[in-house]
Amino acid sequence: MDVIGIFNYGVGFVIMAGIYAIFALGLNIHWGFTGLFNIGIAGFFALGAYTAALLTTQPPDPAQFEDFRFGGNWSEIGYLDLGFDLWFFLGIAAAAVVCGVIALVIGYVTLRLRDDYLAIATLGIAETVRLFFLNEKWVANGSKGLYRIPEFLGHVVSPENYDYLYLAVVLAALGVVFLAAQRAVQSPWGRVLRGIREDETAAAASGKDVFRFKLQAFILGAVIMGIGGALFAHHIRFLSPLTFDPLLATFVIWAMLMVGGSGNNRGAVLGAFVVWGIWTGTQFLPGFFADPNLRFFMIGVLIVAAILLRPGGILGETRRIARGADRE
Amino acid sequence: MANVPASGEAILQVRNLVKDFGGVRAVDHCSLEVGAGAITGLIGPNGAGKTTLFNLVSGALPPTAGRIVFDGRRIDGMGLHQTFGRGLVRTFQIPREMKRMTVLENLMLPPGGQLGERLWASWFLPWQIKRQERRIETAALEVLEFVRLAHLADEYAGNLSGGQKKLLELARTLMAEPKMVLLDEPAAGVNRTLLRDLSDSILAASVERGITFIIIEHDMQFVMRMCDPVIVMANGAVIAEGTPAQVQQNPEVLEAYLGGTVQGGAVNGGAVQGGAAVGAA
Repeated sequence: MDVIGIFNYGVGFVIMAGIYAIFALGLNIHWGFTGLFNIGIAGFFALGAYTAALLTTQPPDPAQFEDFRFGGNWSEIGYLDLGFDLWFFLGIAAAAVVCGVIALVIGYVTLRLRDDYLAIATLGIAETVRLFFLNEKWVANGSKGLYRIPEFLGHVVSPENYDYLYLAVVLAALGVVFLAAQRAVQSPWGRVLRGIREDETAAAASGKDVFRFKLQAFILGAVIMGIGGALFAHHIRFLSPLTFDPLLATFVIWAMLMVGGSGNNRGAVLGAFVVWGIWTGTQFLPGFFADPNLRFFMIGVLIVAAILLRPGGILGETRRIARGADRE
Repeated sequence: MANVPASGEAILQVRNLVKDFGGVRAVDHCSLEVGAGAITGLIGPNGAGKTTLFNLVSGALPPTAGRIVFDGRRIDGMGLHQTFGRGLVRTFQIPREMKRMTVLENLMLPPGGQLGERLWASWFLPWQIKRQERRIETAALEVLEFVRLAHLADEYAGNLSGGQKKLLELARTLMAEPKMVLLDEPAAGVNRTLLRDLSDSILAASVERGITFIIIEHDMQFVMRMCDPVIVMANGAVIAEGTPAQVQQNPEVLEAYLGGTVQGGAVNGGAVQGGAAVGAA
């Protein structure tokens, strides 16, 4: 492989790892700071991706007997009225809103109950979303999938250089999400979340409305995941329900957070790059070791190794020493 | 000793409170009144319903029947964080500190009305939050000084000793600027030196800050020294009430401690002996 090939591979790698890092930051709000056990990331992933894709994708070609309806009409209006790829931003915003609303509904029902119910509900919603897009063909072409999802500013850059532009987009989005997450968890709001994670009853006895904060955290994490899903849709440019199998869309992200460091946003981002590096890197191994099935196994081994060797992750949670007030 | 006289006005009124757990009636038509400013002791054999009463009053559990009036308002049916908002704060028999947060952070959590607890403010008003944080941190350091834990401010709360955790529980309630504090066995497992710190802190909080206390405690020396009046519970109801001396001589109280279930009698016989020792001293 020549140098440019390796470089381009690297760009593609950072785009995907960056998108995964956004998911890891979302999961970190859920699990790392609040202790919400979300094992249905794939559901928010799919909702975010499909929402953005449906809002921006060009009308289907009737000659090919495509029968999905919504996307075409909405995006046609969009491209006529707005132009200049504003629909890309609207798509991201809509993805965030849809995931937020779904999180509000799930959270409102389950967050008053014991922790396990949230896990069951999130797992269920992930499957429901996948089966919905699979069976309701009128929504997004069912198993044939949505394709020709447009590139953001695709007409500005030549196709062979497009990845550089999208790399900048993803890194900018990652930066914004990282700063927002970081500010949120370092504020008293984040302190309440950590209090809830440590001991819900004690947090309530400290005057905190545990349900309200858990709901807020669940929604914020889901919104972040929706943004990640939207960015993913415009990168891959083809979505089918098979894209969102629990392994790639849920458990790889869990592995990223566990390996990188739960409760530390830098750790979440680092974990995304490390695990995605291992995941994609293994395909270059010789012979038997490049077997795709072995990768699934390796991710499992990696999580176990991380839990045994570095339970806090590479960058674990750090002790927060306040320095605001004068100390004698 | 430095008992604070009750001002006479009841800050807490419990009327005919009932709590059933399945077929077990843990609190059985319990009624009591607590005077504002007093340090009231709540004693009784194991299984008398003392902690359940705390759970009901603080809102950790909903009552089956009955009413609770605190500071002129009904609070039965409220949750823990709502009673907290009314100025009623509790501790737990087994300390519930936030282990992976520092001692200081544990204390910076309770104050109400923190701007930074709003998500949007955490993004858009960082400087206002920083100012408020400085105030809260200063207050927390003062409280830590007060309970003599200041040197452990930046330690993880999970690393404290059992007795220090009890002090942290007390400190947490003080951060809330409460009207009334329910202390569930503050002295259990606390060594003599720390115990003196703890009782000093409670007495000082009572005198200097005018906080009303109800204290569940099995250490009779502690109760007799700190509390007046003392309320005795058995089988889910109040069986006696009065000054420590009156309660100690009440035959029903002796009966409850010694003549109760075999298990209860064996454990609590020692407690009454402790009380008798104080009386003799």
